[in-house]
Amino acid sequence: MEDVHIIGLYWARDEGAIPASDEKYGGLCRALSRNILGSPEDAEECVNDTWHRAWNAIPPQRPQSLRAYFAALARNLSLDRWRERRAEKRGGGLEVLLSELEDCVPAADNVERAVETGELARAIDRWLDGLTPADRTAFLRRYWYGQRVDEVARQAGCVPNTMTKRLGRLREGLRRALEQEGISV
Amino acid sequence: MSKESERIFEALGEVSEEKVDEAAPARRERRNGRWLGAVAAVLAVAILGGVFLRPGGGMTAYAIAQAEYPETAQRRELGDTSALEVFFARSARAFLTEAPGENRVYSPLNIYMALSMLAQITDGNSRGQILEALGSGSIEALRQQAGDVWNAAYRDDEAAATILASSVWLSRDVSFNQETMDILARDFYASSYRGEMGSKRFNEALQNWLNEQTGGLLKEQAGNVELNPDTILALAATLYFKAPWYDEFSEERTAPQTFHTPAGDVEADFLHQWGTESCFFGEGFTALGQHFADGAGAMWFLLPDEGVAPEELLAGGEAVEFLFAANKYEWEQQKPFMVNKAIPKFDVASQFELEDGMKLLGITDVFDQKRADFTPMTTGVYGAITLNQANHAARVVIDEEGCTAAAFTVMGPGNAMPPDDEMDFVLDRPFLFCVTGHGGLPLFVGIVNDPTGN
Repeated sequence: MEDVHIIGLYWARDEGAIPASDEKYGGLCRALSRNILGSPEDAEECVNDTWHRAWNAIPPQRPQSLRAYFAALARNLSLDRWRERRAEKRGGGLEVLLSELEDCVPAADNVERAVETGELARAIDRWLDGLTPADRTAFLRRYWYGQRVDEVARQAGCVPNTMTKRLGRLREGLRRALEQEGISV
Repeated sequence: MSKESERIFEALGEVSEEKVDEAAPARRERRNGRWLGAVAAVLAVAILGGVFLRPGGGMTAYAIAQAEYPETAQRRELGDTSALEVFFARSARAFLTEAPGENRVYSPLNIYMALSMLAQITDGNSRGQILEALGSGSIEALRQQAGDVWNAAYRDDEAAATILASSVWLSRDVSFNQETMDILARDFYASSYRGEMGSKRFNEALQNWLNEQTGGLLKEQAGNVELNPDTILALAATLYFKAPWYDEFSEERTAPQTFHTPAGDVEADFLHQWGTESCFFGEGFTALGQHFADGAGAMWFLLPDEGVAPEELLAGGEAVEFLFAANKYEWEQQKPFMVNKAIPKFDVASQFELEDGMKLLGITDVFDQKRADFTPMTTGVYGAITLNQANHAARVVIDEEGCTAAAFTVMGPGNAMPPDDEMDFVLDRPFLFCVTGHGGLPLFVGIVNDPTGN
């Protein structure tokens, strides 16, 4: 079903919107959530919550890209759930991603100012603008969608080792870019 | 792990939507779904048998071309489906309206696949009539379209199943064109078996194959399928569908209620559900859809207006247009309501000869000794070959069970702006239904005149 029809179902308050969303984007959201949480059961609940949030937000919202909209909802909900689980010392799949992202943290002696999350996001966005489309896609698939390195490599047509090196280079690039802007996280 | 890396991960979540959209991983065709029980199980069998007017003799069955199924179907989107929709609409009139007042069910998709195979083994005007009925300009276009339909519909995972299967049954006394058999194996995933037509063992082999492909749900109907010794070839196509509802019906709410059949009132168990739904309206009917879990499709119920028989709606007009519309949500006359649904549980089965319906569709030459042309199949037969058996069986069963997506069943009313209007949708008189699969393909269409099956 076309996105415009799915959005139409939400606006019409038709519960058919939920299975239609699940049919088209359930796989993407489940995979994303599993990558962060490492648990199919928790991921299933997050995806259910995703449709629930969408149901409450549309209307009045009318997303431009339904795919990005649902994925962002699923990602935020999965991050929240991961934090709850961490508090319960149950961990999850995000640890590996966060340990890799340590490489992006600017060195303290270069820090000039601490920034809000929104400003940090804009700085990352500017850095992403400067990447080649292939690098941008690889970085976002790994650190936005949480895909495994071998999956990112397969879709990019290279071996995992090459992708690991490329992602390392990109993380270092992000750190340098943040340092140049004098940003602290 | 530091708080800082967590902040970077969180901030990444706010980068522009465009970039996120561009980087989205390719859509997966299969995933491990959850299986929470059967709700709707439907299947159909179509048999087309060709007969040689001068009988032969022979013995057991063995495969001469084995179809290799892809590990997973490459889910293809169907392109322009307008010609298909015309065939489906005409087929409903041809196959559903012959027994007014009775339950009747058939599978448009199954008959489409069986006729597509028949086109492969015929030539000349025999083939031309089939191509015209199916809305294809050439045999190559039909092969392509049938392949697209197969791949769009096929699904077999833990969450749901739409399994199409085909086979060819050949007389051991006749030499067949191997190239044609190979096309049937390659493009229709049809295995070929050869043996003694009319023998008990060969009939049992065919019946066992039919039962195996349809999960044993058409055992009674399969038992009626026998090939006589005059037959030189039989085509068999099956379709098996099984999926749980997206929102299960509560067993506690199931209750007996009166259903007004054309022959008088009967008591049937009715499933009940309440929620917001788009209701669809057209000349002489009101309709709504009940979705299956995991994107497996939907079941559409069309309730004719008081005083209108389901068979009348099939004569043409908006009801037929709605039944076979690939995307019903594009239907103009729709409105959301708070709906109180009452749907009778039913188990309906039909078995009938396709010949009269095929003739209504303009497929006549294959039945005519003087005109039938089966040369792509074999030239090694002295005498005319005609189609002497075209049998179809289908069964549809629904009940309460299905997917318990509990988080969603509570979200409708009360969460946000329910529609003001309420309506009852009570299927307590004869109605039409249509089970659609991926891409809105009509898997099964039927008329329920009596849900108790009497």
